[in-house]
Amino acid sequence: MSIDQRGLRELIAESEDLQADALRDMKPVLADLTEIGKERRGRPIDLDHVRHVNTERRSLLRKGGFGLGAFAGKGLLATGFGAALTALVASPVTAQEPVDVQVLQTASSLETLAVATYTAALTLPFISGNATVKAFAETTMKQHADHNAAFQAQTEALGGTKQTEPNAKYSKVVEDAMPGLTDAMKVVELATALEEVATQTYVNNMTLLDDTETKKIMASVMGVEAQHLAVLRAVGALLGGAPELIKIPTEPAKLPAAAGSVAFPEPFEGTGMASPPEEGAVQ
Amino acid sequence: MTNHPIDTIKRVGDVSTNRRRFLMGAGGIAAVGLLAACGGDDDTTAGDVTTTTTKPGGTTTAPMGDGAADLKTGAFAASLEVLAVNTYGAALDAAGAGKLGEVPPAVAEFVTTARAHHQAALDAWNEVLTGAGEDAVDAPPAELEATVNEEFAKVTDVVGAAKLALMLEQIAAATYLEAIPGLETEGAIALAASIQPIDMQHAAVLLFVLGEYPVPDNFAKTEMSAVPK
Repeated sequence: MSIDQRGLRELIAESEDLQADALRDMKPVLADLTEIGKERRGRPIDLDHVRHVNTERRSLLRKGGFGLGAFAGKGLLATGFGAALTALVASPVTAQEPVDVQVLQTASSLETLAVATYTAALTLPFISGNATVKAFAETTMKQHADHNAAFQAQTEALGGTKQTEPNAKYSKVVEDAMPGLTDAMKVVELATALEEVATQTYVNNMTLLDDTETKKIMASVMGVEAQHLAVLRAVGALLGGAPELIKIPTEPAKLPAAAGSVAFPEPFEGTGMASPPEEGAVQ
Repeated sequence: MTNHPIDTIKRVGDVSTNRRRFLMGAGGIAAVGLLAACGGDDDTTAGDVTTTTTKPGGTTTAPMGDGAADLKTGAFAASLEVLAVNTYGAALDAAGAGKLGEVPPAVAEFVTTARAHHQAALDAWNEVLTGAGEDAVDAPPAELEATVNEEFAKVTDVVGAAKLALMLEQIAAATYLEAIPGLETEGAIALAASIQPIDMQHAAVLLFVLGEYPVPDNFAKTEMSAVPK
């Protein structure tokens, strides 16, 4: 595989500068929000909002959302794991924490899991041995860590307890998948699935959130996860046919036609894989 | 696995109906007018600014201002989608006429796909707008169109076309990003939130094709937003 490592390093360095700028821009917002959060502590839970979210999630369940459609389609709902998943997603949002806090805690649980997964992937020789893939994994891992930091800070700003544990449901999926990660394609497939869950969770969250600043943070992360997803889809396609083109800069003239569309199979991002608000909430 | 936004809108429309029933005291309400932006409610009689409530004792109409602002935002989003559709169409025409030199298959596929995505987004917004009794949008924002046309006139190759497309996608993504937190109706939020990630993905692939890192920002930015101030 031909790799312009110097060029890639420069691009990564530039990207990290941009990330630092973005984080710096975010910090004053979060500081302000912390003060607002202190004021909000002790306010009663918006029970109407809790009811609203539960009504929507019941509707989504009927339509096979939260990943259950895929399970049902494969006849997996009758299995032990399927039954456990059904029970998990069927449990309603509680009124113990505001919905926005639960949404943020669940988002943190997904980000923590993503960091752990990329960390594990980087120990695999077929990932760490490919400079382009390794650089992508390292950068993406750092971006997820920063997303988590933003979500955790916002959780506390709203008066909640920050989530520091990985998402339990998908941790089990990752744990089960780890022994089978014997080549780069399998790692890319796993990472693709996790990025899709994160992207679709954040898309779905936009209709659940009340707090404007939380919406701003969530939306600013949503699009970045979507980009991770797009890159992984493209890398997955190239691994299968033209791995030598997984490099920066690539050779556009040699890219297969599918490289122009495989990264975004639909004109609208879905919500079928979205994690419900309470999935990663602090218990 | 992917939901069509119209289904999403109908879904959240159902939720909004239930929520509004609750908010309005439930009891004697037989039907609740819902923002057309939420769609899918047979009981809907409202346009963008009124809620019609049928009670056992009669009908009342109350002002409801949140939908008007969302429809205005939706109309602007639709105009941006028109600009994208037109620009990608012009790029295809130029490529077909040999004005961009040799066009790699992946780039041709990208332009065709991205154009179709923006057309789908335009159709979705127009469905929302016409469902609310507004006119469909078929014209781009004049000032931005002039800028894009000026830039397009300078394009002589695929790289130039890709750079222009990247600018358009970044403007669209930033515009949705700025608009989403301010939207109030769930149908509009769901639609905008389902489009913004796709525009970000278009930008990522264009960056890759242009030899740049495809996910340059840790957090998506609003600097290039075209939301009217």
